[in-house]
Parts: sequence; C-alpha cells; structure tokens
Amino acid sequence: MKRHSEWLRCNQGIGSVLSLVLIAFLVYLELSPWVHRRVRDGFTLGFFPVLGVVLLLVFSFVLIVDTHRREVPPDLRTFTFKPFAGGILILIATWVYFTIMRKAGFLIATPFYLTFFIYALGLRSWRKCIISAIVMTLIVYGAFTGMGIKLPAGILWGILPF
Amino acid sequence: MFQPDAIREAFQLFFTPEVFYWMAIGVTVGVGVGAIPGLSAATGIAIMLPLTFTMPVAPALGLLIGLYKGSVYGGSISAISFATPGTSEAAATVYDGYKLMKKGEGRKAVEMALAASVSADTASDLVTIFVAPPLAMVALKFGPAERFWLVVLAFTLIGALSGKHLAKGLISAALGVFLATIGPDPVSAVPRMTFGVWWLTGGIPFIPLMIGLFAISTMLQESIKLLGESKVVEKVKAGIVNGLLKKGAGLTFKEYLRCWKEMLIGLGVGSFVGFLPGLGSTVGAFLSYGVAKQASPEKKIGEGVLEGVAAAEAGNNATVGPTLIPLLAFGIPGSISAALIGAALMLQGATPSPRMFKLYPEIVYALFMILLVANAFNFGIGRIFGRLYARLGLLPKPLLVPLIFTMATIGSFAYRGNPYDVVLALAFGLVGYGMRIGGIPTAPLVISFLITPMMESNLRRALIIAHREWTRALFGSYLSIGLCVATVALTLLSLKLKGAEMIPKEEEKTGGNSG
Repeated sequence: MKRHSEWLRCNQGIGSVLSLVLIAFLVYLELSPWVHRRVRDGFTLGFFPVLGVVLLLVFSFVLIVDTHRREVPPDLRTFTFKPFAGGILILIATWVYFTIMRKAGFLIATPFYLTFFIYALGLRSWRKCIISAIVMTLIVYGAFTGMGIKLPAGILWGILPF
Repeated sequence: MFQPDAIREAFQLFFTPEVFYWMAIGVTVGVGVGAIPGLSAATGIAIMLPLTFTMPVAPALGLLIGLYKGSVYGGSISAISFATPGTSEAAATVYDGYKLMKKGEGRKAVEMALAASVSADTASDLVTIFVAPPLAMVALKFGPAERFWLVVLAFTLIGALSGKHLAKGLISAALGVFLATIGPDPVSAVPRMTFGVWWLTGGIPFIPLMIGLFAISTMLQESIKLLGESKVVEKVKAGIVNGLLKKGAGLTFKEYLRCWKEMLIGLGVGSFVGFLPGLGSTVGAFLSYGVAKQASPEKKIGEGVLEGVAAAEAGNNATVGPTLIPLLAFGIPGSISAALIGAALMLQGATPSPRMFKLYPEIVYALFMILLVANAFNFGIGRIFGRLYARLGLLPKPLLVPLIFTMATIGSFAYRGNPYDVVLALAFGLVGYGMRIGGIPTAPLVISFLITPMMESNLRRALIIAHREWTRALFGSYLSIGLCVATVALTLLSLKLKGAEMIPKEEEKTGGNSG
C-alpha cells in the first residue's frame, strides 16, 4: 500500500493519473455531437479543443516514460491529506463568505470571515484575531472604495457614505 | 515611426500628479511584495489589476510597472537579510548577499542590489525604447501566416525553457491551449467546450484565471503549510534583521563603480533574456551571475563579494523593460508580468497587437516614460525604506494570507461584478496549487492561454486566404520561411541554454513563476 502511495507521488504516477483522466475526457469529447459539427472554414468545432486535450495526453504520457519519471516533486513528497482537506475547506468557506457578503454587505461579513480564518491559521488569541480582522477589513474597503470600486453595502445600504 | 503628435499626447497623459502618485504607490507596494517571501511580482500585479479598472490608462500603467520594478528589486532584501529570496528572481543574490550579511556588510549589499537594479533597469529600458519601435515596423508587414509562425516561435521557447522538466512545461502550455479554446469559435462565434454552462459561453476571463493561478494558489499553499505545521513564531530572523542590517557602512560610489563590468554583463544578458518570450528574470539573474563568475574568476564571485550581488541584480532587473518588447511589437507577452500588463492595457481598450504602435502610439510612448521615471522612484523608495522592508519579510503569515485571500476574492468579483468569476478564481486557485505541488510551472499556461487565440485565428485566416492549401498558407512568403527557420534555431538555442545548468532549481520549485 505504502509502495503504491510512493509511486503515485512520482512523475510516473502523476503522468499515469493524468493520462487516465485525459483518455476518459477524450472519449467524452468524441461522443459529444458538437465536436464534429463543421464550421464555414472547413474545421470541425471541436478540432482545436480536442487538439489541446491530445497535446495534454501526449505530454502526460511523456511524463510516464522520460528520464525524470522516478523523481518525486519536493512539495509532493511532504504532501498529506489532512492539511489539504483544510485547504479545501478554506476555499469552500471563501465561497460561503462571498455569498453571504453579497447579501449582508462587505463591512458586516468580512470581519467574521477574517477572524475565523486568522484563528484557523494559528493566531490563538481571539482578541488579536478580531482586532486584526477589523483593521484588515477597513484596509481592503479603503483600497477598493478609494479606487472608485463599490463593494456590496448589504444591510448598510443607504447608511454608508460610499 | 517618429510621431511628434503622439509624443505630445503621451506627455499630456504622463505628466499628471495622478501618474506620479500611483507610480510611487506601485513601487512602494512592489518593494514590499518582493521583500515578502512567497509573493512574486506576478502575484502582486494580479492582486492590483482589478484596482486599475476605474483608472485612466497612464496611472494604471504607472501603478503596475512601478509594482513590477519594485518587486524585482524587493526580492533581494530578504535574500540578503535572511537567505530567503522574496521572489525566485532574487535567488542568485543569496550566494553573495547573505555572505556579505554575515560579514556585517548587509547594508552595503542591499544598497548595491538597489544601485545595480536601478542602473541596469534604466539602461535596459533605453534598449526597449530603441528596439521596440523598429520591430513594430517589421511586425506591421506580417500577415496571418507570419503571425502564426511568430506565435509558434513563442510556444517553442516557452516549452523548452519552463524549468528543468520539459514535459511538465509542455503539459502546462497544453493546458493553456485547452483553456483558451473554451468559449466562442473565432471564425463562427459558436460556443464550444462550455459543458452546457452558460457563463462559460464567453470563454474564460483572464483576470479570474490570473488571480486564481497566482494569488489564490500561492495563499492556498501557504494556508495548507500553516495548517500542517506547529505554530512557532520565528523570532530568530528578527534578531538577524535588527542586529545586522542596521549596522555597517553604506555603499560608496567607488564600490559602485568597481562593479561596472558585472552590471554591464547583467544589462546585456538580462536584456537578451527579457526579450525572448518565456524566459523571465530568474533565468536572467542566474545567467548573468554565471557569466560574471566565469568572466572574472579573480573577483571570487560566490564568496561574498559585491560584484556577485551586482551581477545577479543587474541581470534580473534588466529583463523588466525588454520583456515588454514582444508584447508591444507583436502582441505576445514575454513573461507573466508582461501578460498582466497586457491585460491591463486590454481593460483600457488598447489590446496589444502588432498594430499597437499605429493604433495607440500615445499609450506606448507614455509607457516608455513610465518605464524610465519609475526607476527613479524605485531608487528613492528602495533607499529610504530598505530597512523597513527587511522587516516585512517577518510579517506573520496568519495575517498576510487571509488579507490577500480577501483581496483576491473581492478583486475577481470587482472585475465584472460577476459572481461566477469568483468561482473560476477559486477553481483556478486549486488548479494552480495542484500544479505547484506537482512541480508543473504555471508560466507556460498563462502565456499559451494568451497566444493560443492568436495562433488559431491566424492559422485559420491564412488557410482561408490560401484556399485551404496548407503549404501555401504556411510557407507562402520568405518572411514565413524565415520565421519557421528562426523557430527551429531558437528552439535549439533555448535547449542549449537549458542544458547549461544555469537555470536554478528554485525556478522549478516556484513553478517557474518568475516575473
């Protein structure tokens, strides 16, 4: 099991996974009717997109067989799933924050998002987290409104001067 | 080519308090971005790009070019202060800079870095000003076939010089080709590769792609590192900065003049490397450092001498101006930062193309003025705040990462007010992270994403003109044949340069994201 995990981290493993995904994607494209539709200059609509995927597949295959195939990229050597899952959570939380921010307003939602984000990344004092979050919110707000870009006012609409 | 009216208009665009104000802001932020390890010039420009939507063209260029120049120099501050290059282009500065620091000559090294950066940058800007207009004249004679070959030429260089592992550079370039084909077909305007998603029918917008690939992916990587490591504040580094950088004598004019040869090497190598699409300032710095070391073995470069700092810093800053030559003359960006500056021009309605000098000469001349004057700002701001910036490298990541994440999210939304741009930026953040940990450089993706539409439309136009006869379409003129030969020759040259083992390991480590 450990040997499989080691192999997956090397360039050959990366190339193999990429190749499998790309073959499946190429089959999907070939089965899509729009790909074979001809346009007025004689090319099919899917010619260039398929060319891009074929190139990706060829170079992924090269990764499996070339002289660097046994090398493990340095950052992948130390990769573990637990912190990565935390990273995915940050992306999801950012989307949730963004959705709430559009309704509630930038100045309301951002301090909450930043407070939890700062705390999650290791600053273990809620007071410092909250103060930093408020200061940072005002910096971002000032930077964007200063440039004439309006940020969602949300429930503060009509109250804010900008 | 000399257009007095355009120059007059350029003066009007350039000589406004707004331009000088934003240039100063750009340099100030840029040196700070450069001094913070993990943030590159491209990340800084990607974050700042959305702020330029509402600005007139000259202040927008002032902000971005100031930021670019400042960050290329700024990387040397942390490279010298604690052997951690703020940007990959400053990696070559570590060898001599940090040794000087340990000898108690840190201040002298930082000032040498600044002086060499500004000198080589200014001289290379003059090269840009003299080289770009005649090249643009030649570019005007290009038809679709010639433009197609020019893009192929750019592709071969990108593929061959994207880090140590060629296949990974090519995977990145192919991904750029694929992403560029999402959206309307250039001949029939029929949407393709949209997977039934309506907000992809217009294609993938460049700004969320950039913000995702550079700002979000970098910060995601930092977040994941922070989540995985023990929370120990590095107080040791603070001691180094406080203890060493404050003390020691500054650079004398005699010492500056003593390094003329290394700065000249940096200027020559950096200008050449900057001009070639796809190489970037990291390669410029290492090549210049390597050449200077070979040219003067008696100076003992590598053992902690000012000449080593001068060669590396002149080499990386000398790429800044020339990297804009392919963009201005042919519409092909030579580096990520040039691509981002090109995007800023597009947002202003002045799309870079071979007709740039004909259509928007006043903007090009204003850009030249900004290139030159930003060096003075870089010198002044870098000198006054050098010590302060050394402390920026110690800024706690738990504060820096959320701040940049928020700016990147809001920036991608502010671009068009389209919430799906945030989805794209976050998705490309994940893609960029995957590429980074897989050791796949992101630079080829960006450049191929930008030049693929040019390649496709020019090839198809050439074929329409030649009634679908491929040979006549592609080799119908001497210029096309010449460009085809140049493509082969430059591919061989770039492969030889790659084999010279002067391209740093850091290039691959950072995903080839230099400037």
